[in-house]
Amino acid sequence: MDLKAWLDEIRERALKALTKPSPYGVDIDVTPFLSAGEVRSGGFLDSARAEEVGVNLKANALYIQVDQAYFSYLSRIPGVEVLRIEDLIDQKPDEAYEYFWRLVDPAADKYTALAALRGRGGYFIKVKRGVKVEEPIMACLYMSYGGLQAPHNIVVIEEGAEATVYTGCTIAPEVLGLHVGISEFYVGKSAKLRFIMVHSWNRVSHVRPRTIVSVDHGGEYISYYVNMARVKTLQTYPKVHLADDAKAFLASILLGLGKADIDVGSSVYMHGNNSGAELVSRALARDEAKIFMRALIVGEGVSRGHIDCRGLMLSDKASIQTVPELIAKNPNVMLTHEASIGRLAEDEINYLVSKGFSKEDAVSALIRGFASIDIKGLPDRVRSYIESIEKVISEKAL
Amino acid sequence: MLTNAKLKYQNNNYYFGKGLKGARKMTSIILSIENLSVSVGSRIAIKDLSLQIPSNTILYLLGPNGAGKTTLLRAIIGYPGYNTVSGVIQFEGEDVTDKPMEYRVSKGLALAHQIPPKLVGVRVADLLSTLCKKSGCSVSDVAKDMEIEHLLYREFGKGFSGGELKRVEIATLLAQRPKLALVDEPDTGVDVDSIEIIARGLKKLVEISPHKSIVIVTHTAFIARYIEPDATCILLGGSIVRCGDPELLYKVMRSGFKGLA
Repeated sequence: MDLKAWLDEIRERALKALTKPSPYGVDIDVTPFLSAGEVRSGGFLDSARAEEVGVNLKANALYIQVDQAYFSYLSRIPGVEVLRIEDLIDQKPDEAYEYFWRLVDPAADKYTALAALRGRGGYFIKVKRGVKVEEPIMACLYMSYGGLQAPHNIVVIEEGAEATVYTGCTIAPEVLGLHVGISEFYVGKSAKLRFIMVHSWNRVSHVRPRTIVSVDHGGEYISYYVNMARVKTLQTYPKVHLADDAKAFLASILLGLGKADIDVGSSVYMHGNNSGAELVSRALARDEAKIFMRALIVGEGVSRGHIDCRGLMLSDKASIQTVPELIAKNPNVMLTHEASIGRLAEDEINYLVSKGFSKEDAVSALIRGFASIDIKGLPDRVRSYIESIEKVISEKAL
Repeated sequence: MLTNAKLKYQNNNYYFGKGLKGARKMTSIILSIENLSVSVGSRIAIKDLSLQIPSNTILYLLGPNGAGKTTLLRAIIGYPGYNTVSGVIQFEGEDVTDKPMEYRVSKGLALAHQIPPKLVGVRVADLLSTLCKKSGCSVSDVAKDMEIEHLLYREFGKGFSGGELKRVEIATLLAQRPKLALVDEPDTGVDVDSIEIIARGLKKLVEISPHKSIVIVTHTAFIARYIEPDATCILLGGSIVRCGDPELLYKVMRSGFKGLA
């Protein structure tokens, strides 16, 4: 089969799945987004919004997409390639054939199908064998008009390479949009990918990212995901597949504001021996937000895994539900989980007040602490972005 | 013998530890508690208690478990849940009885907790840094004083030993630079090495206090081997039953609380 035949097959499979709902989250009617006319142009990047989600627009490796029409990308870092996905298909058909829709099934649900049929753009980032990149590779996906934005992102970290990819996704205020980001990440043998994704949507937007990661022998995947603003509905459940000696650490910070309906999970399938996974999630529910936190670890090889889910109730009308699942398919698997939901402890607030904090500052410090997850090995610049994001979350949660 | 916590008042001055080497002149009252009764839930835990704490005083407040020591300290600082039923608390001459904890702390009272809570995600350095910004101290100096440099970037309280927890707690007081520190059981569950460091921290708290005073609550009095008292009061059943010079403390250390009621 060649690339053209593969693209035809993707299209055929997608067409059959257009009415297939996702098993999770609120079901959205995708028909209006499917029948939308030609791609609108003229959207512009709001650099203030991009910076709010931590994107450095002066980065040496950068991908910017506005709506489904404007694209800008470059790489001045040796050994790092950044392309728009359509360029990959045009210029490197063999690689497109190897990586495009190979992890995510276009017929997985109506959202993947919609992305397969109507998606445009998305980045192809490749870090060549043995190249270790300290500077974060940046991407900004911005929706100025609303409607549909369905980029297809592929990251390939070749054997022995290391990189940090930072993606900020955001939208103009009060713009109704559906964002379906398809992400397929390939982490090679003994390679390492740190992936940070920061979402800042609005109260009328729907978000359905679909992410699958493959980590080869001895590879490592570290992910940090944060939803830091209002959203109408958000549902995602990334999957990570680990080979022998591979490791994964996935952290999620979910802030639920207004009437947000959020259903976010992480799952790791430990196929190989001596693999390990740690899933850490923190949900903060304010107003009338509903948050589902899902987590799944499947141990097939001799492996270890741990899930840590914590929820913080900041309102009487909000709700949080944790659904941690552990599945062992090997007697030498060690899997554990801990989950808790509650309010901020009065004693902790009072303790800080006894140390001279105002009550508001005490609550803010504790919320920030709750949302803080220690991720080792992040570049300083990314760490400082994350710290500023934690600060924003603690302010918005109050 | 002094009863009901009235320290001896002679010639317009308070004196204690007469004849004791290094005894200090107590010149003015910093904290005055008159006929204080405190409820915790439905229980009256402090009953009609009066106590005056002068400047230049290292006051040890001794009592067995359940005597009301922690309740008294928390009532002084206005900790929520420790409700004043009757009586008056004055700090530096100001009636703070009805003032919230936030206000009392802003005026210079500070409490070292017996068992500080764990603060999820809050690093020791973050907390000390916030306190030092207000007081003008240096986090590294405070950490060095209490030998907690290795704990600065750890989550507050998580996995700390008993000694580490107490040292960090005293460090928070050093960072606050209070006028009067109320220290709840600094010597419970602590190894000898940590006690020496804690005592050093307490001496420093006395040094930085403009009144050169401190209140130390203990039921074992181990800490008294490292920081000598100027005065001692015994708390039993929610009331102060006796106050006296340091010899009283050593007597309790030898013979316990029997016969003091």
